[in-house]
Amino acid sequence: MLVKGLPGGASRVNMKLYSLSVLYKGINKSNLLKAAYDLSSFSFFQRSSVQEFMTFTSALIVERSSTGTRSSIKEQEYLCHVYVRNDSLGGVVIADGEYPSRVCFTLLDKVLDEFSRQVDSIDWPSGSPATISYTALDSYLAKYQNPREADAMTKVQAELDETKIILHNTMESLLERGEKLDDLVQKSEHLGTQSKAFYKTARKQNSCCEVM
Amino acid sequence: MAESEEEVDVLVQRVVKDINNAFKKNPNIDEIGLIPCPEARYNRSPIVLVENKLGMESWCVKFLLPFVHNKLLLYRQRKQWLDREALIDITCTLLLLNPDFTTAWNVRKELAQCGVLNPERDLYLGKLVLTKFPKSPETWIHRRWVLQQVLRQCRPRAAEQKEPGEVELGGAQGSPPNERLRRVLRDEMKVCAEAAGRYPSNYNAWSHRIWVLQNLAKGNLKILYDELSSMKLWVSTHVSDHSGFHYRQFLMKALVAELSRAADASCGPSQDLHRSHWPNGDGVGPAAAEESRTASVPELFGKELELCTDLIETYPGHETLWCHRRHVFFLWYHWRKEQSQDVGRQPSLLNHTDETLSGSLGASAGRNVQAMDVDLALEESKQTSYTQDSKRLKRGPLQLRPGLPSEHSFVTKILSGCRSPEQGRFAAAYRKWLDSVIVAADTRSGSVKIKANMNKRISKRKTKVETLLP
Repeated sequence: MLVKGLPGGASRVNMKLYSLSVLYKGINKSNLLKAAYDLSSFSFFQRSSVQEFMTFTSALIVERSSTGTRSSIKEQEYLCHVYVRNDSLGGVVIADGEYPSRVCFTLLDKVLDEFSRQVDSIDWPSGSPATISYTALDSYLAKYQNPREADAMTKVQAELDETKIILHNTMESLLERGEKLDDLVQKSEHLGTQSKAFYKTARKQNSCCEVM
Repeated sequence: MAESEEEVDVLVQRVVKDINNAFKKNPNIDEIGLIPCPEARYNRSPIVLVENKLGMESWCVKFLLPFVHNKLLLYRQRKQWLDREALIDITCTLLLLNPDFTTAWNVRKELAQCGVLNPERDLYLGKLVLTKFPKSPETWIHRRWVLQQVLRQCRPRAAEQKEPGEVELGGAQGSPPNERLRRVLRDEMKVCAEAAGRYPSNYNAWSHRIWVLQNLAKGNLKILYDELSSMKLWVSTHVSDHSGFHYRQFLMKALVAELSRAADASCGPSQDLHRSHWPNGDGVGPAAAEESRTASVPELFGKELELCTDLIETYPGHETLWCHRRHVFFLWYHWRKEQSQDVGRQPSLLNHTDETLSGSLGASAGRNVQAMDVDLALEESKQTSYTQDSKRLKRGPLQLRPGLPSEHSFVTKILSGCRSPEQGRFAAAYRKWLDSVIVAADTRSGSVKIKANMNKRISKRKTKVETLLP
C-alpha cells in the first residue's frame, strides 16, 4: 500500500534491492542512523516520495519488531526484511518479492556487524544520517543487486534456521489493535506534505487503470 | 473552486504551448511523468522540465485531458478546423496523457501520409509514452504501422515481395547493408527492453519485439544469436517473467529453423539425401560447413538447458523456469525427431516461423495438437530413428547432450536436495510430464494407448447418446 500507492511505481519482477537502512530501536520510537537507496527503477518524479515512504516503512517496522528477531513483511510486490539485534541495533532491507530472502538476512547480519564495530554504541540513540559516519551502505546495496555476485552464501544451505523468521503478510499485522496505517502516515515526520497528500489520493485510486 | 470556461481555455492553451516549448528546448527528453501535486497553482506552469525528464503536475490533468480530447473530436467531426501544427501539438499532448486514444494516433497517421509529419517522430513520441504507460496497446500498434512506413521507405521494392528468409538488413544475400534499418532495429530492441523492465510480463512489449525481428531482421542469424546472448542476463534477473522466457523460446525456434533451412539450402536440390550426410560426416566443403551449423543446434539446446538448470538451482520454486524447461526440451525433442526422418517431409512445427502477431497468439495452443499428429505418424520410422539419434548424439560435445536420461537425473538431483516445497512440486510435475507427454508418445504402446483411449472415449460417447434416445 505504502509504496505501491504511487502510480507508475517500480517494475515488480526485477530481483532488486530498493533500500538498506540501519536504525536504532529506542524505547518508544526508532531512530534512522544511515540509509542507502536505489530508486532507479521508479519513475523520476516519484522518487522523492518513494524514498520518504521507504524511510517511514523502515522506521515503523523496527519500532514494531521485538529485539532479537528477524522478520519478513510482505507488502504487495515488495518484501521488507528486518533484523533487530539484542542490543537494539536494527537493519531493514526493502526488496522486490523475487529477491531471495536468505541473501537479505546475510546482508543484514554483515552490515549490522560492521556498523557496530565502526560506530560507537553511545552514538546510536541520538544519531542521525548527518551525524553518523558510516559510508559502506551504498556500496553494499550496489553489490548485492545481483544476488549471485554478492557472495557464496546464496548457494549455501542456510545457516539461519528459516523457521525462526517471522512472516507477516501485510504491514497492518505489525500494528496494535485499533491502530490505522493512515493515521501513522499523517503523523509521520518522515513524510513531507506532498507525500502525505499523495498517499491520501493514491489510496482512493486504482492506480493501474487511472490516467492520472 | 469552479473554473470558468474561459480560464480553462487559457490554462489549457498555455499548457499545450509549454509542452511544445519543452520539446524544443530539450530534444533529449527521455521520460515523462506525473508529479503528485493535488493543489492547483494557476499562475505557475504545471509543466516541469528537470534534466531530461518532463513532468506534469497532477492537478491540471483533469482540466487538460477533456479539453484537448474534445478539441480533437470536434476537428474529426469537421466542426472545428485545426491547422497541421496545432494538430501535431494537440495529438502530442493528448497521447502523453492518454496513449490509448486511437483517434489521436490515427490523425498522426494521416499527417504522416501527407508527408507533413516525419514518421520517426512518432517513434520518439511512442518511446516517451511508454516510459509512463509501458503496456499501452495502441502505442505498440501504431509503432508497428510506423515501422512498416520506414521499411517501405528503406526498401521500396522489397517491401512488396514476400520472400521467406529474405534478409532485410543485408549480408549474405548480397544486398547493401541498410544503416537506417540497423539503427531503427537497435532502437526498437532498446525500447522493448525498457518497457519490459517497467511492467512485469509485459506481453505487448515482448510481442512487439518478436514482430520487429520477424519483419526487420528475418533470417538474420547474427541478430538472433546476439539477442539470445543479450537476454541471458535479463532473464536471470527476472526469473518470473514468463514473457521474457517466451521470447527466448521464440529465438530458439527461429535459430533452429534458420540453421536447418541453411543446412538444407546449401545441400542442393536432393532433399532426401542431405540428412544422411550428417551422421556419417562425409561430404564436401559446403556439407562440412552445414554440418557444423547443424552440430551447433544440439549445442544451442545444451546451453539453454544449462542456463535453465543454473537458474532453477539458484532460485528454487519459480514455476516460470520449469515451464521454460518444458518448452526447450519439447523443442529439442521434436527437432531430433525431424532429423531422424528419412522418409518424406513431415509437417514441422519448427517451420512455422512466419507467425504474424495474431498467429503467435494461437501458437502455443496449436503446438500440442500438431505435435501429437507428428508423433503418431512416426511410429513406423521409430526403430531406425533411434539408432541414427544415438549416432549423432555421440558425435556432439559430451557435456552438452540433452536427452531424457539427463533430464531424469536432473529431476532426481533437485528432488534430493531441495528444501522448498514448491520446487519439489514443480520437479515432480516435470518428471510426470516427461513420462506422460514425451515418453508415452515415443513408444509404440504409448501411441496405441492414445488410440485406445480415443476409441474408449468415442464408444463412451456412443453409449451416452444411445441412453438418451427413448
